[in-house]
Amino acid sequence: MITVDVTLYGDIAHFAGGSHVASQDVNLTEKATVGDLLQKLGISPDDRGYLFINAVLHDAPGLYASKDAALDDGDHIGIFSTTHMWPYQYRDGIHMSDQLQKAMKKHGSMQNVYGRTDKERR
Amino acid sequence: MSRKILRINMSDQSAVYEDIPEKWSKWAGRGLTSAIVLDEVEPTCHPLGPNNKLVIAPGWVSGTPAAPSSGRTSFGGKSPLTGTIKESNSGGLSSKKIAKLGLAAIILEGEPQNGEWYQLVITKDGVEFKDAPDLAGKGMYEVDEILWDQYPNKPAVIGIGPVGEKKLSNAGISVNDPEGKPGRYAGRGGLGAVMGARGVKAIVVDDEGGPGVDIADEDLLKQGRTKLRDAIMEHDLTKPDGGLNTYGTNVLMNIINEAGGLPTRNFSAGQFEGAADISGERVAEMVEKRGGEGMTGHGCHPGCIIQCSNIYPDEEGEAVVSVVEYETAWALGANCGIDDLDYVAEMTYQCNDLGLDTIEAGNTIAIAMEGGQIEFGDKEAALALFDEIREMSPLGRIYGQGVEATAKAFGVHRVPTVKGQSMPAYEPRAIKGIGVTYATSPMGADHTAGYTIAPEIAGVGGKVDPLDEEGKSDLSLTFQAATAFVDSTGYCLFIAFPILDISSGWEGMAESVAGVTGLDITGDDVIDVGKEILRMEREFNKKAGFTAQDDRLPEFMRYEKLPPHNEVWSMSDEELDQVYAWTNGK
Ligand code: SF4
Repeated sequence: MITVDVTLYGDIAHFAGGSHVASQDVNLTEKATVGDLLQKLGISPDDRGYLFINAVLHDAPGLYASKDAALDDGDHIGIFSTTHMWPYQYRDGIHMSDQLQKAMKKHGSMQNVYGRTDKERR
Repeated sequence: MSRKILRINMSDQSAVYEDIPEKWSKWAGRGLTSAIVLDEVEPTCHPLGPNNKLVIAPGWVSGTPAAPSSGRTSFGGKSPLTGTIKESNSGGLSSKKIAKLGLAAIILEGEPQNGEWYQLVITKDGVEFKDAPDLAGKGMYEVDEILWDQYPNKPAVIGIGPVGEKKLSNAGISVNDPEGKPGRYAGRGGLGAVMGARGVKAIVVDDEGGPGVDIADEDLLKQGRTKLRDAIMEHDLTKPDGGLNTYGTNVLMNIINEAGGLPTRNFSAGQFEGAADISGERVAEMVEKRGGEGMTGHGCHPGCIIQCSNIYPDEEGEAVVSVVEYETAWALGANCGIDDLDYVAEMTYQCNDLGLDTIEAGNTIAIAMEGGQIEFGDKEAALALFDEIREMSPLGRIYGQGVEATAKAFGVHRVPTVKGQSMPAYEPRAIKGIGVTYATSPMGADHTAGYTIAPEIAGVGGKVDPLDEEGKSDLSLTFQAATAFVDSTGYCLFIAFPILDISSGWEGMAESVAGVTGLDITGDDVIDVGKEILRMEREFNKKAGFTAQDDRLPEFMRYEKLPPHNEVWSMSDEELDQVYAWTNGK
């Protein structure tokens, strides 16, 4: 078993008992992934925005590049709601996972949100 | 009726209305303030001397009916903080009212011989020069209240606090918000001292009966405005209940912290353990819990449809201050090791009242902490520093001068400035792209200098891959140019978000400008027009003695590793020089 420390920001904080920001330790099986973690917390991938593991960006709103990312004991995971914004110039050059880089290369790395404008949702 | 330039000479208290000359006729906002400063201000003049000027200009679309979020006013001059040309802009009530009086710009020049303080009242009938001994020495909250009592139809009030009166380099210019409080600031670069040097404590602008703004092509304006409005209302970040509306700009605090790019304790680390407690999420919780006058989703001027501002309440629900935004909460919070929003709000109030830029003020406190004057995280001592400034003690005067003066006073060499201006809330060792903009912006280290735009619009999409290390200089230039354009429109820079993802919004912005002015501008011209503005600003700086060696980040960032990623700033000088190579014909 491993234990990770999760902080949820925005409306998804209620999954950890808060209103806008809440932290929680979560026990998972060895080799668990971000996908497993989200499932355990009950957070739908559609309601998840930016996601960090130990200060490395693993996901962005509208993408799901972190699904298979493996978690280790003691990891810190920060998960943001889809309302959270992060303009490109304020993230240009930050640490990103390889999977996310690949996904961004495909979908355009400068976007603020990916396929999540209302028009596309309708 | 063509737009006028109102030239106010404080040496003899005269005011003349001039037709806008051909060479400036296409400009507004930042483009106009920079054009006028380049033409009329001696680049080598002393910023506080008689040869500097303060230029005030609304944007192209300011004052037109219902243009969304278009109430920004540009202030320009030579900066006492940086020695460069400066444009600093602010929301609040002034932009629409100046525009509706038919004015393209107000030029404030000269200095009173008698050392008196003046209050200017600008109406459709002209300019009244009133002695203002009763306003001198007062904080901006009181000044704004007195002037709204005197002028019941709620005019715009542009003013300076005690710090501007003493001509200290971290003096901002205050603009009153819809509640009649000094909640909005053209903060950066010390232009409040330039206003103080003209002997002007406050400018009252009443647009009652003014001629309004001429519109060249109503249909085009309407079309552009609709596209832009639709983009703002549709986009996840700017729509009602979107990111900005819900958490304000402080939506960024936790994100930047999670990424390891939040400058902490005077730029010595990239993560702050107390970040969540000073974040937009916490502000929202406080507002919900305390209720009363507290609110999120506040507009800093009438007509803003994004409404990213807030009113922070105390425990009884009474308003403490508007606005606790990201840069402010970071500067007075994380960067000083302070994790208490009530103190951050109280210090923000002090800044607004004294007339200080919150970013420079927070960085200054952090330097005082680094220099051993007080401890990092000591919130009571940090708040008490403002008493020194209010009393104008010798130490208070040093703090009022900002980061570089304070660092010299305390022998600190970790000084996070470029061209004399301190950095805002993004660590360039972690967020490398912004470092290029900090280094090369004609304004000194400034986060709003380089806003992002869609790669296909910028024309860089095919040329560079933003994910690669190369190409950052091209991108930075494109961002800086787009920002210079938006700063000239009168639109709030935050329209940049929907414009990035929804290209009809980008077209709409350009069309609304073309509709008002009759200029032949489409979305494709934005970058070129922005570059013209940058060229003027760089020319001024060159004449003022700035060279490529000034386009550098502080030395310590090259050798001090920033946790948690333990990285240094590694971009080469050659790459930085690429950004403006085109202005040298290269
Ligand atoms: S988006 Fe925010 S800063 Fe911009 S005009 Fe509206 S309230 Fe003011």
